[in-house]
Amino acid sequence: MINTKNIKETLMNNAIYVVLVALLVIIVIMSPDFLSIVNFRNILTQASTRIIIALGVAGLLITQGTDLSAGRQVGLAAVVSASLLQAPNYAYRMYPNLKQLNIFIPILLVMIICGIFGMLNGIVISKLHVTPFIATLGMMIIVYGVNSIYFDRPPYGAQPIGGLDPKFMKFAQGSFNIGGFIIPYLVIYAAIVTLIMWFIWNKTKLGKNMYAIGGNPEAAAVSGVNVAKNLIILYTIAGILYGFAGSLEAARVGTATNNTGNMYELDAIAACVVGGVSFSGGIGTISGVVIGVIIFQVINYGLAFIGVSVYLQYIIKGLIIISAVAIDTRKYIKKK
Amino acid sequence: MNKKFMSLALAGMLMLTLASCGQKTGDSGQAGNPKIGVTIYKYDDNFMSFVRRAIETNAQGKAELILNDSQNSQATQNEQVDMMISKGVKALAINLVDPQAAPSIIEKAKTKNLPIIFFNKEPNAEVLKSYEKCWYVGTESKEAGIIQGKMIADLWKKNPNWDKNKDGKIQYVLLKGEPGHPDAEARTKYAVEEIKNAGIEVEQLELQTGMWDTVKGKELMDAWLSKHGDKIEFVIANNDAMALGAIQSLKAAGYFTNGKFMPVVGVDAIPDAIQQIKDGLMVGTVLNDAKNQGKATLELALNAAQGKDPIEGTQWKLDENKAVRVPYIAITKDNLNVAEEAYK
Repeated sequence: MINTKNIKETLMNNAIYVVLVALLVIIVIMSPDFLSIVNFRNILTQASTRIIIALGVAGLLITQGTDLSAGRQVGLAAVVSASLLQAPNYAYRMYPNLKQLNIFIPILLVMIICGIFGMLNGIVISKLHVTPFIATLGMMIIVYGVNSIYFDRPPYGAQPIGGLDPKFMKFAQGSFNIGGFIIPYLVIYAAIVTLIMWFIWNKTKLGKNMYAIGGNPEAAAVSGVNVAKNLIILYTIAGILYGFAGSLEAARVGTATNNTGNMYELDAIAACVVGGVSFSGGIGTISGVVIGVIIFQVINYGLAFIGVSVYLQYIIKGLIIISAVAIDTRKYIKKK
Repeated sequence: MNKKFMSLALAGMLMLTLASCGQKTGDSGQAGNPKIGVTIYKYDDNFMSFVRRAIETNAQGKAELILNDSQNSQATQNEQVDMMISKGVKALAINLVDPQAAPSIIEKAKTKNLPIIFFNKEPNAEVLKSYEKCWYVGTESKEAGIIQGKMIADLWKKNPNWDKNKDGKIQYVLLKGEPGHPDAEARTKYAVEEIKNAGIEVEQLELQTGMWDTVKGKELMDAWLSKHGDKIEFVIANNDAMALGAIQSLKAAGYFTNGKFMPVVGVDAIPDAIQQIKDGLMVGTVLNDAKNQGKATLELALNAAQGKDPIEGTQWKLDENKAVRVPYIAITKDNLNVAEEAYK
């Protein structure tokens, strides 16, 4: 008897997973060939850059923050890294006289640039006390403006930046082939970033402070946590992750424009929420974020795979997000 | 309890939505026909929606289509291509979001040795040559500009009263498409060049990008009308959507009533524009032949999917760049039926 209640409780608390598993079952029933290694690999590869972005945003959500500028920062990083890594024999180079750079120089550069933008977000939020929604909304527009100015200028104007260095493309598109089993580099990068972030969240003082600030900022401040400093560091880390994701995005797609990354922040936030990161702060795990992104990608890919109309896909995704938060709120109220 | 109920209700809705749409999949046609994977750079592009319809109409009974909306994101498109390849398509028909992304798509197709027909957005000629099994269906960017320029020159000569200040020059404003877009650059350049070739002097009052967009076209025209007023003698737009925006703005400023007139030309001959020409609010446009672009795309893809020569048994010819060029047609009120025919 006790068991039924417990099972019911567990099912309710994990209702979103129940629904998602059910969706998956429907997808597989409608198209059994969905269950293939190729599809599985495609989904993981597509999830990789999204995981990196989501891990950045997730830390901010836990501090009761958010980051609407994530997508535009990804776009800026994509454009800048692509512009510095065009193949030397490509006719329409942004810098015709630039010699071939080691691909890691531009990647590091954009990580620094986005890190600075992230730091500015953190400063505005913690020192000027602008709510994160507004601060990062403003930053989103600013970054887009900066990116567009950089992008739309001589010698070729607002041309999509293509003709990338094959080494750079390989950095994102390549894969290891271990005994016929193909592991894309992108998945490995996502795994490495996930490990680093797991360490930061769970094994460092910064991680503990992050949860403390998110749980109750006043209490954290009273107990001696330097809230401003921690927030600034967390926003900077998020920026660095967007920078890395942006350069991967450019290399993965093969071109970049000032529109690259548009709305990625919403995908990332939605995935975090589906993965159990609470919008009210204080709650969330690395595994949750990663699972959230992958689940979202399974749904994305699966719905397209069985050929659901794109307009219905929007409705389904919207419902998933709302139900995820409904369940999340339920848990939160219970805690109180 | 309430919360519980709500979450359950939401979950239920979710299931229903998916279950109910199960039957209506994007695949059409019966089994046995070759599967062709199609991406459209974005579904809400007016012109591409007609190309898409033409592809669907021509595929009926011959091919099983998997249609995708790339939502104006190249990353999304690349992922859709992965998905379609894993679904086992026999050919890809790709309307690139970004013409420079063609090499990434080719790389993906190469792994399965799949033929690709790029359409409407043209990859670099060298990129097309880099893979034996890819072709292009589209138009030649500069041709639309040349035809538009000729049309402007003809109309100008026929209507001497359009020269409001009687200086013999056309004072024009130009609504340009997305900067860097090959069509926008070519149409802008060749339209004006062709007017000059016809022996007419021109004076550019304004040139700005309206990003192919009606609202931006209207807003720019609002600003230009308040700045130049009746000094403007001609409105040239790189596409009809912006021309329609300009007409909205002109109407609001009192044009097209009481003998006040402004010639506006566009490109694309979308149905809205045809109607405006019929009503006398627009003087001409250039038909970008959606019907035949869609037809050519499907026919080439179908041939390629069956391992045949892509133009076998069709009316199309490949040029030296492995491209089929569907011709543009000038549309004025004298040959509106040609444009109307294109949408039937």
